Amino acid sequence: MKRSLYSRIWPNATAVVLFIGFVFPVYWMFATALKPTGDIISEDPVWFPTDVTFEHFETATGVDHFWTYVTNSLTVTVLAVVFSLVIALAGSFALARMRFRGRRGFVVGFMLAQMAPWEVMIIAMYMIVRDASMLNSLVPLTLFYMMMILPFTILTLRGFVAAVPKELEESAMVDGCTRAQAFRRVILPLLAPGLMSTSLFGFITAWNEFALVLVLNKDAEAQTLPLWLSGFQTQFGNDWGATMAASSLFAVPILILFVYLQRKAVSGLTAGAVKG
Amino acid sequence: MKRKLIAAIGVAGMVFSVAACGGDGGDGDKAGADGYAGETLTVWVMDGSSPDQWQKDLAAEFEKKTKAKVEFEVQQWNGIQQKLTTALSEENPPDVFEIGNTQTPAYAKTGGLADLADLKSEIGAEWTESLNASSIYDGKQYAAPWYFANRVVLYNKKVWADAGLKDTPKTRDEFYDALKTIGEKTDAEPIYLPGQNWYHFVGLVIGEGAELVKKDGDTYVSNLDDPKVAAAMETYKKFQSLSKAPKDKDEATPQQGEVFAKGDVGAFIGMGWEAGIAIKANPGIEKEIGYFTIPGATADKPEGVFLGGSNLAVAAGSQKQELAKEFLKLALSDTFEGRLAKLNGVIPNKESLQSNLKGNAPAEAAAPAAAVGGTTPLIPEWAAVENAPNPIKTYMTAVLNGKSPAEAAKQVEGEFNKRLAQQQ
Amino acid sequence: MTVQTERPPSGPADVRKADDGGPGRPTPRAASRAGALAPYLLLLPACAATVLLLGWPLLKDVLLSFQNLNMAQLIQHVTEWNGVDNYREVLTGEDFWRVTLRSILFTAANVVLIMVLGTLVGLLLARLGKRMRFTLLLGLVLAWAMPVVAATTVYQWLFAQRFGVVNWVLDKLGWHSMADYSWTSSQMSTFFVVTLLIVWMSIPFVAINLYAATTTIPNELYEAAALDGAGGWRSFTTVTLPFLRPFLYATTFLEIIWVFKAFVQVFTFNGGGPDRLTEILPVYAYVEGVGNQHYGMGAAIAVLTILILLGLTAYYLRIVLKQENEEEAGL
Repeated sequence: MKRSLYSRIWPNATAVVLFIGFVFPVYWMFATALKPTGDIISEDPVWFPTDVTFEHFETATGVDHFWTYVTNSLTVTVLAVVFSLVIALAGSFALARMRFRGRRGFVVGFMLAQMAPWEVMIIAMYMIVRDASMLNSLVPLTLFYMMMILPFTILTLRGFVAAVPKELEESAMVDGCTRAQAFRRVILPLLAPGLMSTSLFGFITAWNEFALVLVLNKDAEAQTLPLWLSGFQTQFGNDWGATMAASSLFAVPILILFVYLQRKAVSGLTAGAVKG
Repeated sequence: MKRKLIAAIGVAGMVFSVAACGGDGGDGDKAGADGYAGETLTVWVMDGSSPDQWQKDLAAEFEKKTKAKVEFEVQQWNGIQQKLTTALSEENPPDVFEIGNTQTPAYAKTGGLADLADLKSEIGAEWTESLNASSIYDGKQYAAPWYFANRVVLYNKKVWADAGLKDTPKTRDEFYDALKTIGEKTDAEPIYLPGQNWYHFVGLVIGEGAELVKKDGDTYVSNLDDPKVAAAMETYKKFQSLSKAPKDKDEATPQQGEVFAKGDVGAFIGMGWEAGIAIKANPGIEKEIGYFTIPGATADKPEGVFLGGSNLAVAAGSQKQELAKEFLKLALSDTFEGRLAKLNGVIPNKESLQSNLKGNAPAEAAAPAAAVGGTTPLIPEWAAVENAPNPIKTYMTAVLNGKSPAEAAKQVEGEFNKRLAQQQ
Repeated sequence: MTVQTERPPSGPADVRKADDGGPGRPTPRAASRAGALAPYLLLLPACAATVLLLGWPLLKDVLLSFQNLNMAQLIQHVTEWNGVDNYREVLTGEDFWRVTLRSILFTAANVVLIMVLGTLVGLLLARLGKRMRFTLLLGLVLAWAMPVVAATTVYQWLFAQRFGVVNWVLDKLGWHSMADYSWTSSQMSTFFVVTLLIVWMSIPFVAINLYAATTTIPNELYEAAALDGAGGWRSFTTVTLPFLRPFLYATTFLEIIWVFKAFVQVFTFNGGGPDRLTEILPVYAYVEGVGNQHYGMGAAIAVLTILILLGLTAYYLRIVLKQENEEEAGL
């Protein structure tokens, strides 16, 4: 297929502009974090950090309890994601493969659950946790985060499960596998990309949450990184170097995870999303 | 069972300390005090309000006296009411906490503060009556007055010298001219005045002889449409125009002391102790900091000021009532109250401790204005006004962004009145 | 669906078939009952979690919405029922309706921008050469992966009044009045930045998935369309669009939910200011409830917020119900 010069150039030109538009905020975050303060607050922006410094990262990580926050964030996020994957896998298998009374109701129910605006229910959640004497603990956080990502996980995984050809499962059963074995040996490996892509979403949601932890956990020992980041910002308001260093540190785990998993994730996600 | 025992010992300890109270409360060998061993008292103090060294010394002395530890937790003013309210409803609230004088009546009314009548009769006989006013609600003592202060001008001597300024200004116009000179002759920002330093604005309103609210029958309503309030806002605007500070931020975000610490700001309007924040951020700035009274319209009367202050309160839900009172007795003792006054240049809760302010530059700069100072109305309804978004701050930003004071007053009136009438 | 009668029933579908098979065959009754229960057992953990962790807070929220719950009541753990007072006050005030309208317009504007631009970027991805596509994908993934708290902070810095790079660029481009512009100073400028942020964060999801979906369109469809004499636009509307329709529905649904609930972006960027003019429903509920310590009122607003969100997505939920019906018939 022959195309004119014009029609070959414009998609690429647009792509370059878009690339810059999407990457620039991320780039600027890292660049600012690495520049000495004098280069940050200068009348003309310094576009490239020529004079690299790590002092802002030192300020950001020098905050009391920093490593506690890191540990807490990782613990809560990973556990919430793992629990929700396990629970969702069972549920989505039923929804995708089995036929039973009320199936529709379940699907719509999880869709409704997905819409829950958590931020507006915070005081109710706070009172429940308070009255159960569970404040300043990672347990309620883990549970609620798991719930925040569970509906999306179920609905997405359901699409992935449905996308695995039924014949594969059936032929495995012909070969003498029980249904559970067929699931473990045939379906689960094929679901790997699906599990990864859904876990990404769970990871990012749980990693980001701060309105709930702000109210539930006043004790620094039980706080997480988003609080550190937002508190940092109030406290160091115009110290953009330190604030950007903190943002960078906060974003890096997710960025790495995304870039690493993106290819597998994307291919599978379509299947999930198309099924809705 | 155990708790009862501890309580019993605690009461015994109290009895003993009452008996021993004639002295300065400094010597720690009181029998029965061992009952507190292993306990930790949680104390919330606001960011910057008491120096680290003061806290350390107090904690050491307290441990010596009661065998119990103190853990100071520093809080930010931003969002403090939301945090405090939930904390007071919990099983383990902070045992002792600092609370702003304008917010005290509201919390007294909630029942979250312990009655401190016995403390008052024990150590509060000499408390200055006007400073104790905010702690009393419905005839009961719900907090103990801790420290008070009004704002002064903190200036950078080097910047002023660079601009060729020799004297500190005595009138508002001289002040403005001095700042203008700084702007013309140096690279420094003449004054750092963010658009929402509403405590300073309240001071200006008081200076004009006006109030922010007026009584309408039984309820309070906005008085922002008073021309005198508008005049105060015009003054604010005139000075704010010399600052590059954001028009929609207050003086604590970022801490103006930290901005000042960078050395390229001529002056800012703040509490004397905010110098400590600057020094902590940049020790080199210490020798450059000077203070003067905020100049008024004429040389004979300084600018009006808001008499800010903090009380110390005990959570009604605290399991350590007696220990908390022990702490208050020590923190408010002549030794520590006096030392805080000296270190931070704040007005102590007793006249007799005023001598600590001699030779203290910020305190001496603050003193002349204190006489013409005032507060917001000490009513429970007031605290709601200070919740974000504070309508007074909204008013200020609106004017600074070009609205006329009358328009801005009209704009926020509904919100202001709604908060003053809010159901409790 | 073929059922091998030789093997034991291994799922409810099979069970039912087996049961329907008539009385002639011996049916292991216990196994069949367990089989019929299997889907419910598999769904049990998910349902239990939903009821406990979502249903309970939701119920609590509804209960709170009928209470007069302020500082004093919260601190002293007092329950003061006040009937529908909270609802009456919210629904008769102007604020709520203004915020609701604003929320809907805000959601609509954002979702339209996200879907249109996201689709265009997705189609562009399909047209690019391999290397360029990879580059653009990388850019999209980076933006997608930015945690929202960090992204909001970065946007605050980009649009900072002093030393913000956006103001500098605008100044250099000739808008000198923008050199010291405060983006938080007005309703429109705040919404502009927040919208930009949300659209920036959301386009990658739509674009990448749409691109992935287009790669699954069988080529024969296009060839057939070409044989019928369809041009680029025709084949887009007759082949691409119908193929992507379910995907577009599903994505729009997700985006509506996500944008409607965009609490963090709006609240962190400007706290719903200036003068409460950029409060959308979740922010309004938070400011009135938690911020103003008027918790019962906040709960009532929360309940209304949920109802409005349900209303906004009702159309899609109906489609899903229908679609599931069909699937059930065809399963």
